Amino acid sequence: MVAPMDALLEARGLTRRYGRKQALRGVGFALSAGEVLGLLGPNGAGKSTCLGILAGVLAPSAGQVLIGGADMARSPLRAKRRLGYLPEQPPLYPEMRVDEFLRHCARLRRIPPGAIARAVARSLRLCGLAEVRRRLLGKLSKGYRQRAGLAAALIHEPELVILDEPTDGLDPVQIREVRALIAELGERCAVIVSSHALAEVQASCRRVIVLHDGRMLHDGPLNAPRALRLRLARPPQTAALRRLAAVATVTEAAPDAETGLYSVTLADGATAEQIATAAVGAGWGLLELAPEQTDIERIFFQAIGMEMPA
Amino acid sequence: MIGSIALRDWMGAFRTPVGWVSLAATQAILGYVLLKVLDEFTGPEPALRSAGLNLELTHNLYGTAAVVLLLTMPILAARALGGELRDGTWPLLASAPLTLAELLLGKFLGLALLVLPVCLLPLGLGLMLSGAAPVDPGLLAAASLGLWLTGLLFAAVGLWAASLVGQPVAAAVAGYGVLLLLSVVNRTELLGAPQLGALDWLAWNQHLFWFLAGVVRISDLTYFALLTAAFLALALRRLDNLRLG
Repeated sequence: MVAPMDALLEARGLTRRYGRKQALRGVGFALSAGEVLGLLGPNGAGKSTCLGILAGVLAPSAGQVLIGGADMARSPLRAKRRLGYLPEQPPLYPEMRVDEFLRHCARLRRIPPGAIARAVARSLRLCGLAEVRRRLLGKLSKGYRQRAGLAAALIHEPELVILDEPTDGLDPVQIREVRALIAELGERCAVIVSSHALAEVQASCRRVIVLHDGRMLHDGPLNAPRALRLRLARPPQTAALRRLAAVATVTEAAPDAETGLYSVTLADGATAEQIATAAVGAGWGLLELAPEQTDIERIFFQAIGMEMPA
Repeated sequence: MIGSIALRDWMGAFRTPVGWVSLAATQAILGYVLLKVLDEFTGPEPALRSAGLNLELTHNLYGTAAVVLLLTMPILAARALGGELRDGTWPLLASAPLTLAELLLGKFLGLALLVLPVCLLPLGLGLMLSGAAPVDPGLLAAASLGLWLTGLLFAAVGLWAASLVGQPVAAAVAGYGVLLLLSVVNRTELLGAPQLGALDWLAWNQHLFWFLAGVVRISDLTYFALLTAAFLALALRRLDNLRLG
Protein backbone atom coordinates (compact mmCIF):
# COMPACT_ATOMS: atom_id res chain seq x y z
CA MET A 1 0.00 0.00 0.00
CA VAL A 2 1.34 3.42 -0.92
CA ALA A 3 0.79 6.02 1.78
CA PRO A 4 -0.36 9.49 0.74
CA MET A 5 2.32 12.17 0.80
CA ASP A 6 0.70 13.99 3.71
CA ALA A 7 0.12 10.84 5.81
CA LEU A 8 0.45 11.61 9.50
CA LEU A 9 0.35 7.96 10.49
CA GLU A 10 1.65 5.01 8.56
CA ALA A 11 1.27 1.46 9.83
CA ARG A 12 3.16 -1.10 7.79
CA GLY A 13 2.61 -4.85 8.10
CA LEU A 14 1.85 -4.83 11.83
CA THR A 15 1.99 -8.30 13.30
CA ARG A 16 1.76 -9.20 16.95
CA ARG A 17 2.02 -12.61 18.58
CA TYR A 18 1.17 -13.53 22.17
CA GLY A 19 2.96 -16.84 22.50
CA ARG A 20 1.32 -19.07 19.91
CA LYS A 21 -1.67 -16.83 19.42
CA GLN A 22 -1.38 -14.34 16.60
CA ALA A 23 -3.38 -11.27 17.57
CA LEU A 24 -2.52 -9.15 14.55
CA ARG A 25 -1.55 -10.29 11.06
CA GLY A 26 0.03 -7.81 8.71
CA VAL A 27 -2.19 -4.79 9.32
CA GLY A 28 -1.21 -1.74 7.30
CA PHE A 29 -2.85 1.59 6.56
CA ALA A 30 -2.16 5.31 6.43
CA LEU A 31 -4.01 8.21 7.97
CA SER A 32 -3.89 11.92 7.18
CA ALA A 33 -4.72 14.93 9.31
CA GLY A 34 -8.46 15.65 9.38
CA GLU A 35 -9.46 12.01 8.90
CA VAL A 36 -11.62 10.22 11.46
CA LEU A 37 -11.01 6.51 11.14
CA GLY A 38 -13.16 3.86 12.78
CA LEU A 39 -11.48 0.62 13.75
CA LEU A 40 -14.25 -1.90 13.81
CA GLY A 41 -14.29 -5.53 14.74
CA PRO A 42 -15.89 -8.07 17.04
CA ASN A 43 -14.44 -8.58 20.52
CA GLY A 44 -11.02 -10.24 20.28
CA ALA A 45 -10.44 -9.04 16.71
CA GLY A 46 -7.17 -7.33 17.67
CA LYS A 47 -8.40 -3.72 17.88
CA SER A 48 -6.85 -2.92 21.27
CA THR A 49 -3.60 -4.65 20.33
CA CYS A 50 -3.47 -2.61 17.13
CA LEU A 51 -4.09 0.65 18.99
CA GLY A 52 -1.56 -0.29 21.70
CA ILE A 53 1.07 -0.75 18.98
CA LEU A 54 0.14 2.53 17.29
CA ALA A 55 0.43 4.30 20.67
CA GLY A 56 3.84 2.75 21.39
CA VAL A 57 2.61 0.86 24.45
CA LEU A 58 3.21 -2.49 22.77
CA ALA A 59 5.95 -3.38 20.33
CA PRO A 60 4.93 -5.21 17.16
CA SER A 61 6.40 -8.66 16.52
CA ALA A 62 6.90 -7.40 12.96
CA GLY A 63 6.05 -4.24 11.09
CA GLN A 64 6.59 -0.55 11.50
CA VAL A 65 4.70 2.49 12.80
CA LEU A 66 5.60 5.95 11.51
CA ILE A 67 4.04 9.06 13.04
CA GLY A 68 4.86 12.21 11.13
CA GLY A 69 7.78 10.33 9.61
CA ALA A 70 9.20 9.35 13.02
CA ASP A 71 9.65 5.61 13.50
CA MET A 72 8.04 4.45 16.75
CA ALA A 73 10.81 1.87 17.26
CA ARG A 74 13.79 4.11 16.43
CA SER A 75 12.56 7.53 17.59
CA PRO A 76 9.82 6.74 20.11
CA LEU A 77 10.00 10.11 21.88
CA ARG A 78 9.57 12.07 18.66
CA ALA A 79 6.69 9.84 17.57
CA LYS A 80 4.93 9.85 20.95
CA ARG A 81 5.03 13.64 21.26
CA ARG A 82 2.52 13.84 18.41
CA LEU A 83 -0.04 11.37 19.71
CA GLY A 84 -2.64 11.23 22.44
CA TYR A 85 -3.93 7.84 23.55
CA LEU A 86 -6.99 6.90 25.58
CA PRO A 87 -6.98 3.18 26.35
CA GLU A 88 -10.13 1.16 26.95
CA GLN A 89 -9.83 1.71 30.71
CA PRO A 90 -8.96 5.38 31.37
CA PRO A 91 -5.55 5.46 33.10
CA LEU A 92 -6.39 7.47 36.23
CA TYR A 93 -4.91 7.67 39.72
CA PRO A 94 -7.90 7.62 42.09
CA GLU A 95 -6.15 9.57 44.86
CA MET A 96 -5.40 12.56 42.60
CA ARG A 97 -7.63 15.54 41.93
CA VAL A 98 -8.67 16.20 38.33
CA ASP A 99 -6.59 19.37 37.79
CA GLU A 100 -3.63 17.91 39.63
CA PHE A 101 -3.77 14.79 37.44
CA LEU A 102 -3.87 16.90 34.29
CA ARG A 103 -0.85 18.92 35.49
CA HIS A 104 0.97 15.61 36.02
CA CYS A 105 0.00 14.48 32.51
CA ALA A 106 1.18 17.82 31.10
CA ARG A 107 4.60 17.32 32.70
CA LEU A 108 4.74 13.73 31.37
CA ARG A 109 3.96 15.14 27.93
CA ARG A 110 6.88 17.58 28.28
CA ILE A 111 4.77 20.72 28.10
CA PRO A 112 6.99 23.65 29.20
CA PRO A 113 6.28 24.66 32.85
CA GLY A 114 5.07 28.11 31.78
CA ALA A 115 2.41 26.64 29.47
CA ILE A 116 1.04 23.96 31.82
CA ALA A 117 -1.67 26.10 33.48
CA ARG A 118 -3.02 27.19 30.10
CA ALA A 119 -2.96 23.61 28.74
CA VAL A 120 -4.81 22.30 31.81
CA ALA A 121 -7.45 25.05 31.60
CA ARG A 122 -7.97 24.36 27.88
CA SER A 123 -8.28 20.63 28.43
CA LEU A 124 -10.71 21.09 31.34
CA ARG A 125 -12.87 23.36 29.21
CA LEU A 126 -12.72 21.11 26.12
CA CYS A 127 -13.84 18.03 28.04
CA GLY A 128 -16.37 19.78 30.29
CA LEU A 129 -14.47 19.11 33.49
CA ALA A 130 -14.23 22.64 34.88
CA GLU A 131 -16.87 22.07 37.53
CA VAL A 132 -15.23 18.90 38.89
CA ARG A 133 -11.63 20.11 38.67
CA ARG A 134 -11.08 19.79 42.45
CA ARG A 135 -12.79 16.41 42.80
CA LEU A 136 -10.82 13.21 43.40
CA LEU A 137 -10.64 11.02 40.31
CA GLY A 138 -11.67 7.99 42.35
CA LYS A 139 -14.93 9.74 43.30
CA LEU A 140 -15.98 10.64 39.75
CA SER A 141 -18.80 8.97 37.83
CA LYS A 142 -17.96 6.71 34.88
CA GLY A 143 -18.74 9.51 32.42
CA TYR A 144 -16.48 12.02 34.12
CA ARG A 145 -13.72 9.43 34.46
CA GLN A 146 -13.89 8.87 30.72
CA ARG A 147 -13.74 12.62 30.15
CA ALA A 148 -10.74 12.91 32.48
CA GLY A 149 -9.00 10.21 30.44
CA LEU A 150 -9.83 12.12 27.26
CA ALA A 151 -8.57 15.38 28.77
CA ALA A 152 -5.28 13.65 29.63
CA ALA A 153 -4.97 12.34 26.06
CA LEU A 154 -5.60 15.82 24.60
CA ILE A 155 -3.61 17.95 27.04
CA HIS A 156 -0.67 18.45 24.68
CA GLU A 157 -2.85 19.14 21.61
CA PRO A 158 -1.73 16.02 19.73
CA GLU A 159 -1.96 15.73 15.96
CA LEU A 160 -3.04 12.11 16.21
CA VAL A 161 -5.65 11.01 18.75
CA ILE A 162 -6.19 7.30 19.42
CA LEU A 163 -9.36 6.44 21.33
CA ASP A 164 -10.08 2.85 22.35
CA GLU A 165 -13.81 2.32 22.91
CA PRO A 166 -14.31 5.93 24.07
CA THR A 167 -18.08 5.63 24.59
CA ASP A 168 -18.08 2.25 26.29
CA GLY A 169 -20.29 2.32 29.39
CA LEU A 170 -21.49 5.89 28.89
CA ASP A 171 -25.11 6.97 29.00
CA PRO A 172 -26.78 8.33 25.82
CA VAL A 173 -26.18 11.97 26.76
CA GLN A 174 -22.51 11.33 27.44
CA ILE A 175 -22.18 9.32 24.21
CA ARG A 176 -23.54 12.31 22.31
CA GLU A 177 -21.05 14.62 24.00
CA VAL A 178 -18.12 12.35 23.19
CA ARG A 179 -19.26 12.08 19.57
CA ALA A 180 -19.42 15.87 19.35
CA LEU A 181 -15.91 16.07 20.81
CA ILE A 182 -14.62 13.52 18.28
CA ALA A 183 -16.21 15.54 15.47
CA GLU A 184 -14.52 18.67 16.81
CA LEU A 185 -11.17 16.88 17.02
CA GLY A 186 -11.64 15.60 13.49
CA GLU A 187 -11.59 19.21 12.25
CA ARG A 188 -7.95 19.68 13.11
CA CYS A 189 -6.27 16.33 13.80
CA ALA A 190 -6.34 12.71 12.76
CA VAL A 191 -8.51 10.54 14.98
CA ILE A 192 -8.73 6.76 15.32
CA VAL A 193 -11.74 5.43 17.20
CA SER A 194 -12.10 1.75 17.93
CA SER A 195 -15.42 0.16 18.72
CA HIS A 196 -17.37 -3.02 18.39
CA ALA A 197 -20.56 -0.93 18.16
CA LEU A 198 -21.50 -0.36 14.53
CA ALA A 199 -23.64 2.68 15.32
CA GLU A 200 -20.73 4.30 17.13
CA VAL A 201 -18.42 4.07 14.13
CA GLN A 202 -21.22 5.10 11.75
CA ALA A 203 -21.87 8.22 13.84
CA SER A 204 -18.29 9.33 14.33
CA CYS A 205 -16.19 8.19 11.40
CA ARG A 206 -15.77 8.95 7.73
CA ARG A 207 -13.61 5.93 7.02
CA VAL A 208 -13.65 2.43 8.44
CA ILE A 209 -11.22 -0.44 8.85
CA VAL A 210 -12.68 -3.81 9.73
CA LEU A 211 -10.49 -6.17 11.73
CA HIS A 212 -11.38 -9.79 12.26
CA ASP A 213 -9.17 -12.42 13.82
CA GLY A 214 -6.20 -10.06 13.55
CA ARG A 215 -6.65 -9.49 9.82
CA MET A 216 -7.61 -6.27 8.12
CA LEU A 217 -10.61 -7.24 6.01
CA HIS A 218 -11.75 -3.84 4.80
CA ASP A 219 -10.42 -0.31 4.52
CA GLY A 220 -12.62 2.26 2.84
CA PRO A 221 -14.83 5.31 3.18
CA LEU A 222 -18.22 5.25 4.85
CA ASN A 223 -20.93 6.28 2.43
CA ALA A 224 -24.49 7.29 3.01
CA PRO A 225 -26.80 4.25 2.96
CA ARG A 226 -27.99 3.23 -0.52
CA ALA A 227 -30.82 0.83 0.43
CA LEU A 228 -33.84 2.63 1.86
CA ARG A 229 -37.20 1.66 3.31
CA LEU A 230 -40.01 3.82 1.92
CA ARG A 231 -43.52 3.93 3.35
CA LEU A 232 -46.24 5.88 1.58
CA ALA A 233 -49.81 6.67 2.68
CA ARG A 234 -51.15 6.87 -0.90
CA PRO A 235 -48.89 4.51 -2.85
CA PRO A 236 -48.69 4.85 -6.63
CA GLN A 237 -48.04 2.05 -9.09
CA THR A 238 -44.57 0.57 -8.57
CA ALA A 239 -43.70 1.63 -12.09
CA ALA A 240 -44.24 5.26 -11.14
CA LEU A 241 -41.66 4.93 -8.41
CA ARG A 242 -39.27 3.16 -10.76
CA ARG A 243 -39.46 6.10 -13.16
CA LEU A 244 -37.96 8.47 -10.57
CA ALA A 245 -34.42 9.46 -11.59
CA ALA A 246 -33.10 8.92 -8.07
CA VAL A 247 -34.31 5.33 -7.91
CA ALA A 248 -32.27 2.44 -9.27
CA THR A 249 -34.46 -0.46 -8.15
CA VAL A 250 -37.68 -0.73 -6.23
CA THR A 251 -39.50 -3.74 -4.79
CA GLU A 252 -42.74 -3.87 -2.90
CA ALA A 253 -41.70 -5.20 0.49
CA ALA A 254 -44.90 -6.88 1.65
CA PRO A 255 -47.48 -6.95 -1.13
CA ASP A 256 -49.85 -9.27 0.72
CA ALA A 257 -49.60 -7.63 4.16
CA GLU A 258 -49.29 -3.90 3.96
CA THR A 259 -49.52 -1.65 0.96
CA GLY A 260 -47.25 1.32 0.51
CA LEU A 261 -44.08 -0.28 1.90
CA TYR A 262 -41.16 -0.47 -0.55
CA SER A 263 -37.46 -1.32 -0.61
CA VAL A 264 -35.70 1.27 -2.72
CA THR A 265 -32.10 1.39 -3.91
CA LEU A 266 -30.68 4.78 -4.77
CA ALA A 267 -29.28 5.39 -8.23
CA ASP A 268 -25.61 6.39 -8.52
CA GLY A 269 -25.10 9.95 -7.34
CA ALA A 270 -28.67 10.24 -6.07
CA THR A 271 -29.61 11.14 -2.50
CA ALA A 272 -32.47 10.17 -0.21
CA GLU A 273 -33.51 13.81 -0.20
CA GLN A 274 -34.41 13.61 -3.90
CA ILE A 275 -36.79 10.71 -3.27
CA ALA A 276 -38.40 12.54 -0.35
CA THR A 277 -38.89 15.65 -2.48
CA ALA A 278 -40.41 13.60 -5.31
CA ALA A 279 -42.77 11.70 -2.98
CA VAL A 280 -43.97 14.88 -1.33
CA GLY A 281 -44.28 16.65 -4.68
CA ALA A 282 -46.41 13.83 -6.14
CA GLY A 283 -48.67 13.83 -3.08
CA TRP A 284 -48.01 10.17 -2.19
CA GLY A 285 -48.09 10.89 1.55
CA LEU A 286 -44.54 10.23 2.71
CA LEU A 287 -44.70 8.38 6.05
CA GLU A 288 -41.20 6.94 6.35
CA LEU A 289 -37.86 7.05 4.53
CA ALA A 290 -35.11 5.26 6.45
CA PRO A 291 -31.95 3.24 5.76
CA GLU A 292 -32.78 -0.41 5.14
CA GLN A 293 -29.31 -1.38 6.22
CA THR A 294 -26.60 1.12 7.12
CA ASP A 295 -23.43 1.19 5.09
CA ILE A 296 -21.40 0.18 8.13
CA GLU A 297 -23.55 -2.92 8.66
CA ARG A 298 -23.15 -3.88 5.03
CA ILE A 299 -19.37 -3.39 5.18
CA PHE A 300 -18.97 -5.17 8.48
CA PHE A 301 -21.04 -8.25 7.80
CA GLN A 302 -19.71 -8.55 4.29
CA ALA A 303 -16.14 -8.26 5.57
CA ILE A 304 -16.47 -10.94 8.21
CA GLY A 305 -18.36 -13.16 5.78
CA MET A 306 -21.65 -13.35 7.65
CA GLU A 307 -23.90 -11.71 5.12
CA MET A 308 -23.81 -10.69 1.51
CA PRO A 309 -24.31 -7.04 0.71
CA ALA A 310 -27.86 -5.89 0.14
CA MET B 1 10.23 14.09 34.09
CA ILE B 2 11.86 11.68 36.55
CA GLY B 3 10.99 14.10 39.35
CA SER B 4 7.33 14.25 38.25
CA ILE B 5 6.93 10.50 38.41
CA ALA B 6 8.77 10.33 41.75
CA LEU B 7 6.72 13.12 43.27
CA ARG B 8 3.45 11.58 42.15
CA ASP B 9 4.39 8.23 43.68
CA TRP B 10 5.56 9.86 46.89
CA MET B 11 2.40 11.94 47.21
CA GLY B 12 0.30 8.91 46.29
CA ALA B 13 1.83 6.95 49.17
CA PHE B 14 1.00 9.68 51.69
CA ARG B 15 -2.49 10.35 50.33
CA THR B 16 -3.35 6.73 51.02
CA PRO B 17 -2.71 5.01 54.36
CA VAL B 18 0.34 3.18 52.95
CA GLY B 19 2.98 5.79 53.80
CA TRP B 20 1.54 6.76 57.18
CA VAL B 21 0.97 3.18 58.34
CA SER B 22 4.50 2.13 57.44
CA LEU B 23 5.93 5.18 59.25
CA ALA B 24 3.73 4.65 62.30
CA ALA B 25 4.57 0.95 62.51
CA THR B 26 8.30 1.68 62.17
CA GLN B 27 8.14 4.37 64.83
CA ALA B 28 6.32 2.06 67.25
CA ILE B 29 8.87 -0.71 66.76
CA LEU B 30 11.87 1.64 67.01
CA GLY B 31 10.41 3.29 70.13
CA TYR B 32 10.19 -0.08 71.81
CA VAL B 33 13.76 -0.95 70.77
CA LEU B 34 15.01 2.41 72.10
CA LEU B 35 13.41 1.77 75.47
CA LYS B 36 15.05 -1.68 75.62
CA VAL B 37 18.47 -0.16 74.83
CA LEU B 38 18.05 2.60 77.37
CA ASP B 39 16.95 0.07 79.95
CA GLU B 40 20.40 -1.56 79.79
CA PHE B 41 22.05 1.78 80.47
CA THR B 42 20.02 2.77 83.50
CA GLY B 43 21.37 1.73 86.89
CA PRO B 44 24.28 2.49 89.21
CA GLU B 45 27.08 2.82 86.59
CA PRO B 46 25.64 4.35 83.42
CA ALA B 47 28.64 6.65 82.90
CA LEU B 48 31.08 3.73 82.60
CA ARG B 49 29.00 2.22 79.84
CA SER B 50 28.44 5.43 77.89
CA ALA B 51 31.02 4.50 75.25
CA GLY B 52 28.82 1.57 74.31
CA LEU B 53 25.57 3.52 74.18
CA ASN B 54 26.15 4.89 70.69
CA LEU B 55 27.04 1.50 69.24
CA GLU B 56 24.13 -0.15 71.00
CA LEU B 57 21.84 2.54 69.63
CA THR B 58 23.02 2.22 66.05
CA HIS B 59 23.09 -1.57 66.03
CA ASN B 60 19.69 -1.99 67.60
CA LEU B 61 17.79 0.96 66.14
CA TYR B 62 19.28 0.87 62.67
CA GLY B 63 19.44 -2.91 62.55
CA THR B 64 15.74 -3.08 63.37
CA ALA B 65 14.97 -0.32 60.84
CA ALA B 66 16.85 -2.34 58.19
CA VAL B 67 14.66 -5.36 58.94
CA VAL B 68 11.57 -3.15 58.69
CA LEU B 69 12.80 -1.91 55.30
CA LEU B 70 13.41 -5.48 54.19
CA LEU B 71 9.80 -6.26 55.04
CA THR B 72 8.24 -3.12 53.55
CA MET B 73 10.30 -2.21 50.48
CA PRO B 74 9.30 -5.19 48.28
CA ILE B 75 5.63 -4.34 48.96
CA LEU B 76 6.12 -0.64 48.23
CA ALA B 77 8.12 -1.38 45.07
CA ALA B 78 5.52 -3.90 43.90
CA ARG B 79 2.85 -1.25 44.50
CA ALA B 80 4.84 1.38 42.61
CA LEU B 81 5.38 -0.68 39.46
CA GLY B 82 3.02 -3.67 39.62
CA GLY B 83 0.22 -1.32 40.72
CA GLU B 84 0.56 0.65 37.48
CA LEU B 85 0.32 -2.55 35.46
CA ARG B 86 -2.60 -3.90 37.51
CA ASP B 87 -4.61 -0.66 37.75
CA GLY B 88 -4.36 0.10 34.04
CA THR B 89 -2.32 3.30 34.44
CA TRP B 90 0.72 1.86 32.68
CA PRO B 91 -0.45 3.02 29.20
CA LEU B 92 -0.38 6.62 30.45
CA LEU B 93 3.34 6.30 31.13
CA ALA B 94 4.13 3.98 28.21
CA SER B 95 2.49 6.27 25.64
CA ALA B 96 4.15 9.41 27.02
CA PRO B 97 7.32 10.71 25.37
CA LEU B 98 9.70 9.37 28.00
CA THR B 99 12.22 6.59 27.94
CA LEU B 100 11.83 3.43 29.99
CA ALA B 101 14.98 4.44 31.88
CA GLU B 102 13.38 7.76 32.88
CA LEU B 103 10.25 5.92 33.93
CA LEU B 104 12.16 3.40 36.04
CA LEU B 105 14.38 6.06 37.60
CA GLY B 106 11.24 8.05 38.46
CA LYS B 107 9.83 5.02 40.26
CA PHE B 108 13.18 4.44 41.98
CA LEU B 109 13.47 8.07 43.09
CA GLY B 110 9.91 7.92 44.44
CA LEU B 111 10.88 4.93 46.57
CA ALA B 112 14.11 6.67 47.63
CA LEU B 113 12.02 9.60 48.90
CA LEU B 114 9.71 7.17 50.66
CA VAL B 115 12.66 5.49 52.42
CA LEU B 116 14.04 8.81 53.61
CA PRO B 117 11.59 9.40 56.50
CA VAL B 118 12.10 5.81 57.65
CA CYS B 119 15.85 6.54 57.84
CA LEU B 120 15.23 9.79 59.71
CA LEU B 121 13.18 8.10 62.43
CA PRO B 122 16.11 6.34 64.17
CA LEU B 123 18.23 9.46 63.65
CA GLY B 124 15.57 11.54 65.41
CA LEU B 125 15.31 9.03 68.25
CA GLY B 126 19.11 9.02 68.70
CA LEU B 127 19.44 12.80 68.58
CA MET B 128 16.59 13.09 71.07
CA LEU B 129 18.99 11.74 73.69
CA SER B 130 21.70 14.28 72.94
CA GLY B 131 20.88 16.46 75.95
CA ALA B 132 20.94 13.56 78.38
CA ALA B 133 23.71 11.31 77.01
CA PRO B 134 26.94 11.71 74.98
CA VAL B 135 25.41 10.88 71.61
CA ASP B 136 27.80 10.68 68.64
CA PRO B 137 26.07 12.54 65.76
CA GLY B 138 28.72 11.41 63.26
CA LEU B 139 28.03 7.77 64.05
CA LEU B 140 24.29 8.31 63.69
CA ALA B 141 24.80 10.14 60.39
CA ALA B 142 26.94 7.29 59.02
CA ALA B 143 24.37 4.74 60.16
CA SER B 144 21.55 6.79 58.58
CA LEU B 145 23.47 6.91 55.28
CA GLY B 146 24.02 3.15 55.43
CA LEU B 147 20.35 2.54 56.16
CA TRP B 148 19.27 4.76 53.26
CA LEU B 149 21.63 2.99 50.86
CA THR B 150 20.28 -0.34 52.10
CA GLY B 151 16.75 0.95 51.46
CA LEU B 152 17.74 1.95 47.92
CA LEU B 153 19.14 -1.53 47.27
CA PHE B 154 15.92 -3.09 48.57
CA ALA B 155 13.92 -0.73 46.35
CA ALA B 156 15.93 -1.77 43.28
CA VAL B 157 15.44 -5.45 44.11
CA GLY B 158 11.72 -4.79 44.63
CA LEU B 159 11.41 -3.01 41.28
CA TRP B 160 13.17 -5.85 39.52
CA ALA B 161 10.83 -8.37 41.16
CA ALA B 162 7.84 -6.20 40.18
CA SER B 163 9.04 -6.08 36.59
CA LEU B 164 9.25 -9.88 36.56
CA VAL B 165 5.78 -10.47 37.97
CA GLY B 166 3.04 -7.94 37.27
CA GLN B 167 0.85 -9.16 40.14
CA PRO B 168 1.87 -7.07 43.20
CA VAL B 169 1.56 -9.82 45.85
CA ALA B 170 3.59 -12.27 43.76
CA ALA B 171 6.12 -9.50 43.06
CA ALA B 172 6.48 -8.76 46.78
CA VAL B 173 7.04 -12.46 47.54
CA ALA B 174 9.66 -12.64 44.78
CA GLY B 175 11.34 -9.56 46.26
CA TYR B 176 11.42 -11.16 49.72
CA GLY B 177 12.97 -14.25 48.25
CA VAL B 178 15.85 -12.34 46.66
CA LEU B 179 16.43 -10.13 49.71
CA LEU B 180 16.42 -13.08 52.11
CA LEU B 181 18.89 -14.85 49.86
CA LEU B 182 21.12 -11.76 49.92
CA SER B 183 20.78 -11.76 53.72
CA VAL B 184 21.91 -15.35 54.35
CA VAL B 185 24.25 -15.88 51.43
CA ASN B 186 27.29 -15.32 53.70
CA ARG B 187 26.22 -17.75 56.45
CA THR B 188 29.40 -19.81 56.26
CA GLU B 189 28.39 -22.16 59.04
CA LEU B 190 25.42 -23.28 56.97
CA LEU B 191 27.70 -24.41 54.16
CA GLY B 192 30.55 -25.66 56.33
CA ALA B 193 33.08 -23.43 54.55
CA PRO B 194 35.54 -21.20 56.44
CA GLN B 195 35.64 -18.51 53.74
CA LEU B 196 33.05 -17.62 51.13
CA GLY B 197 34.81 -14.79 49.28
CA ALA B 198 32.42 -13.39 46.68
CA LEU B 199 29.34 -14.75 48.47
CA ASP B 200 30.45 -12.97 51.63
CA TRP B 201 30.77 -9.76 49.62
CA LEU B 202 27.26 -10.20 48.24
CA ALA B 203 25.51 -10.05 51.63
CA TRP B 204 24.10 -6.58 52.29
CA ASN B 205 24.31 -6.91 56.08
CA GLN B 206 28.10 -7.24 55.92
CA HIS B 207 28.30 -3.80 54.34
CA LEU B 208 25.64 -2.15 56.50
CA PHE B 209 27.58 -3.36 59.54
CA TRP B 210 30.45 -0.97 58.79
CA PHE B 211 28.13 2.00 58.46
CA LEU B 212 26.57 1.09 61.81
CA ALA B 213 30.08 1.09 63.29
CA GLY B 214 30.52 4.64 61.98
CA VAL B 215 32.91 3.63 59.20
CA VAL B 216 32.02 4.85 55.71
CA ARG B 217 34.19 2.83 53.33
CA ILE B 218 34.49 3.30 49.59
CA SER B 219 34.16 -0.46 49.13
CA ASP B 220 30.77 -0.48 50.89
CA LEU B 221 29.54 2.54 48.95
CA THR B 222 30.65 0.76 45.77
CA TYR B 223 28.81 -2.40 46.82
CA PHE B 224 25.51 -0.58 47.28
CA ALA B 225 25.96 1.47 44.08
CA LEU B 226 26.88 -1.59 42.00
CA LEU B 227 24.18 -3.90 43.26
CA THR B 228 21.48 -1.23 43.07
CA ALA B 229 22.50 -0.34 39.51
CA ALA B 230 22.61 -4.03 38.55
CA PHE B 231 19.06 -4.70 39.75
CA LEU B 232 17.79 -1.51 38.08
CA ALA B 233 19.45 -2.58 34.84
CA LEU B 234 17.76 -5.99 35.09
CA ALA B 235 14.41 -4.29 35.73
CA LEU B 236 14.95 -2.01 32.73
CA ARG B 237 15.72 -4.96 30.51
CA ARG B 238 12.64 -6.78 31.72
CA LEU B 239 10.37 -3.76 31.18
CA ASP B 240 11.68 -3.43 27.65
CA ASN B 241 10.85 -7.09 27.06
CA LEU B 242 7.35 -6.55 28.44
CA ARG B 243 6.52 -4.40 25.41
CA LEU B 244 7.37 -7.37 23.23
CA GLY B 245 5.11 -9.64 25.33
